[in-house]
Amino acid sequence: MFKLYASLRKELLLLINDKVGLALMFLMPLLLVFIITIIQDSAYKMVNENQIPLLVVNHDNGKEGGKLVDLLTKSGLFKIDSQNAIPQESLKSELLSRGKMIALYIPATFSAGLESNAEDVSTILMDDLGLERDTTAREKVSMPKLSFYNDPVLQENYSYSVMSVIQSYMSVIENSLMIDRMYANMDIAERSAKLKDKMISNRVGIDQIVARNNNSTAIPNSTQHNVPAWTIFAMFFMVVSLGSNIVKERINGSFLRLKTMPTTFMVVMFSKMAVYVVVAALQVALTFSMGIWILPKLGLPKLSVPDNVIATIAVIFISSMAAVSYALMIGAFAKTEQQANGFGAISIIIFGAIGGILVPTFVMPGFMQFFSNFSPLHWCLEGFYVLFLKGGSWQDLRTVFAFLGIFIVFCQLGTYFKLRFERII
Amino acid sequence: MAGQVCIEIRDVYKRYKSAQEDSLSQVSLSIMQSDVFGLLGPNGAGKTTLISILCGIIPVSTGDVQFFYNGKPYSDRERKSRIGFVPQEYAFYQELTPRQNLDYFGAMYNLPPQKLEARREHLLEVLGLEKAADKKIGTFSGGMKRRVNLAIGIIHEPDILFLDEPTVGVDVQSRNAIIRYLQQVNQAGTTIVYTSHHMSEAEEFCKNIALIDHGKVIAAGGLQHLKSVHHAGSLQTLFINLTGEEYRD
Repeated sequence: MFKLYASLRKELLLLINDKVGLALMFLMPLLLVFIITIIQDSAYKMVNENQIPLLVVNHDNGKEGGKLVDLLTKSGLFKIDSQNAIPQESLKSELLSRGKMIALYIPATFSAGLESNAEDVSTILMDDLGLERDTTAREKVSMPKLSFYNDPVLQENYSYSVMSVIQSYMSVIENSLMIDRMYANMDIAERSAKLKDKMISNRVGIDQIVARNNNSTAIPNSTQHNVPAWTIFAMFFMVVSLGSNIVKERINGSFLRLKTMPTTFMVVMFSKMAVYVVVAALQVALTFSMGIWILPKLGLPKLSVPDNVIATIAVIFISSMAAVSYALMIGAFAKTEQQANGFGAISIIIFGAIGGILVPTFVMPGFMQFFSNFSPLHWCLEGFYVLFLKGGSWQDLRTVFAFLGIFIVFCQLGTYFKLRFERII
Repeated sequence: MAGQVCIEIRDVYKRYKSAQEDSLSQVSLSIMQSDVFGLLGPNGAGKTTLISILCGIIPVSTGDVQFFYNGKPYSDRERKSRIGFVPQEYAFYQELTPRQNLDYFGAMYNLPPQKLEARREHLLEVLGLEKAADKKIGTFSGGMKRRVNLAIGIIHEPDILFLDEPTVGVDVQSRNAIIRYLQQVNQAGTTIVYTSHHMSEAEEFCKNIALIDHGKVIAAGGLQHLKSVHHAGSLQTLFINLTGEEYRD
C-alpha cells in the first residue's frame, strides 16, 4: 500500500508541476465551452430571436413593393432600413459601406410584372371554366426579379434562410394578387377578401417535436450540445501532459531504473491511470458546474443534468479511461516529447473533427460518417448525447460501451507490447 | 564477509536483435564480496551491456549470472532488493525535489516510512544536498544531479552497488565528494561494481578490475598485479597498452 501511495503521490506532484498541462486540461475546456456556447447561442438567436438588419431599396412604381416591405416589417424578423434613393448600381458599395450584411432591391416593374402574371393566371382559369371575361388587350410585363445582395463573409445557409423567408412573403403577395384579379374578372372584386383570408391566413402549421425519451426534461440547445462535447475534447487533450510524462520517464531511464527495483510496473501504470481518471472527472465537474451555474448568469441556457446519475458516472468513467489509455499509448510510441505533444494534439483535433465535436456527424458526407466510427471522441460524445439530449437508458448505451471498451483494450495492449518490446516491462 | 564470491558471471554472451556482432562474448568473471570492482574499457566495449545484465534490465543470450551473499545464492526477488543501480543518465524526476524523488524511489525499494525518512535525511546531509532538498532538480548543476542520482541508488543500503560512470560531467569537488562517500559505503561492506573513463579515478578507487574490449574480457584481476604483469606504471598506460590508441567512436 505504501508503494501505491508513494506512486500516486509522485504522479500527483508531477501533474501539479506541469503548469502548461494543467492549463490545457482545466482552462482550455472552460474557455472552449464558454466561447463556443456563446457563439452558437448568438447565431441561434440571430436567426430565431434577434431582428436581422436588412437594407431595402424599393424602386417599384406600383403598390406591391410597398406591400412586401410592409409584410417584412410586420413579420418582426427584420430591422428594415429603407433607402429608396440609392441607385441599384451603387447598392453593392452602399451595402459594404453601411456595414449591413444583406440588402433587398425591388425593381421598378415589380408590381406591373406581378399584376401581368396574375392577369395571365386569371385568363387561363376563366377560359378553362368557360366564363366570360374582359378581352381588352393589356400590355405584357415579364415576371419581375428581386435582387438579394449579401456580404461575402455571410454564410451561405444564412443567406438561404433569409431568401426563404422573403420567398414565403412573396407567395402571400402573389396569391393575393391572383385572387384579386380572378374576382375582378368575374366582377365580384368586393368579395375576394374572405377567400384571401382563408387561403393566406389559415395555413398549415408545423409542431416541432424533439425525439427524446419521455423521462427526459432536457431541451436541446447550445449548452446541452457544447458542454459535453468540449469536455470530451479537453479530456483527450490530457495526451499532452500524460503522454509527454511517459516519454520523459522512458527516455531518462526512470522506467529502467524501476525495473531494477523490487516493484511491479503495474503499480506505476495504475497510479498514472488513477490520477488522470480523477483529472478527467475534475474536468467534467468543472465544465458541468460552469454549464449549471455560470452560463445561465450570462444569459445562456442552463445545463440540464440527466436523471440517470449512475449511467452518467459510467459514461464519464469509460470516456476518461479511453482518454487515459490513448495518452498512455501515445506516450509509449512517441520517441520524443515533441512527438507526443505534436502528434497527440493534432490527432485529438482530427478525432474531434471526424467524431462530431466541431460539426455534427449527420452533416458530413457518407464516407466521413463511416470514418467517425473510428474516433473514440465520437463514441464518448454519443454516450453523453444519449443521456443529455435523448434521455436514453443503459440499453441505449450498449454500443457506446462496446466501442469504447474495444478502444481501451486496443490502446492498453498497444502500450503493453511497446513497453515490453523496449524491455521496460 | 570479504573473500567470498558475490557475483559469478559464467560464459555470458549477448547479441542484440538485428546486431551483426556479439556485444558480449564469452564473459566470465568472479567479483568478490566487499570489493570495488572496475569494469573498464573504451566506448562500445560492452561495459553498460554487462552492467544492464547484472542489474536484470536485459537478459543474457547465453550464459549464467549468479549472486551470493555470505556464500548463499540470491533468489531473483532478493536480488532486486539487495542491489542498487546508479545509471549513467539522470534517471529521476527533474520536476520534483531531491526529497520527493528519494521518497518515491525509497518506497519502491520497500523501505518502511520511518526508515525511509531517516535514510533520506542522512543522504541529503552527507551528499551536501540538504540546502537544496526542497528545490526542483531541474535547476541543479551537473554535480548536484549526479549526487541525487547516487542517493537514489543507495537509499536502501544495498549489498551490491552498480555504478555506470557515476562522475561523468561533474566538477572536481563533486567528483571528490562522490568518490569519498562511495569509499565509506564500501568500507561499510557494500560491494561496488563501477565503470568509468577516468583512469586516475578508477586507479584510486578500484581494488580489482576487468578490462573489456569488443565485448570480451581482455584482462582481469588485482589492479597492482595487472600493472606489474603488463609492465605499466599507471592504469592509463595499462589501458592503452591493452586496447590500443585508435579512436573508438
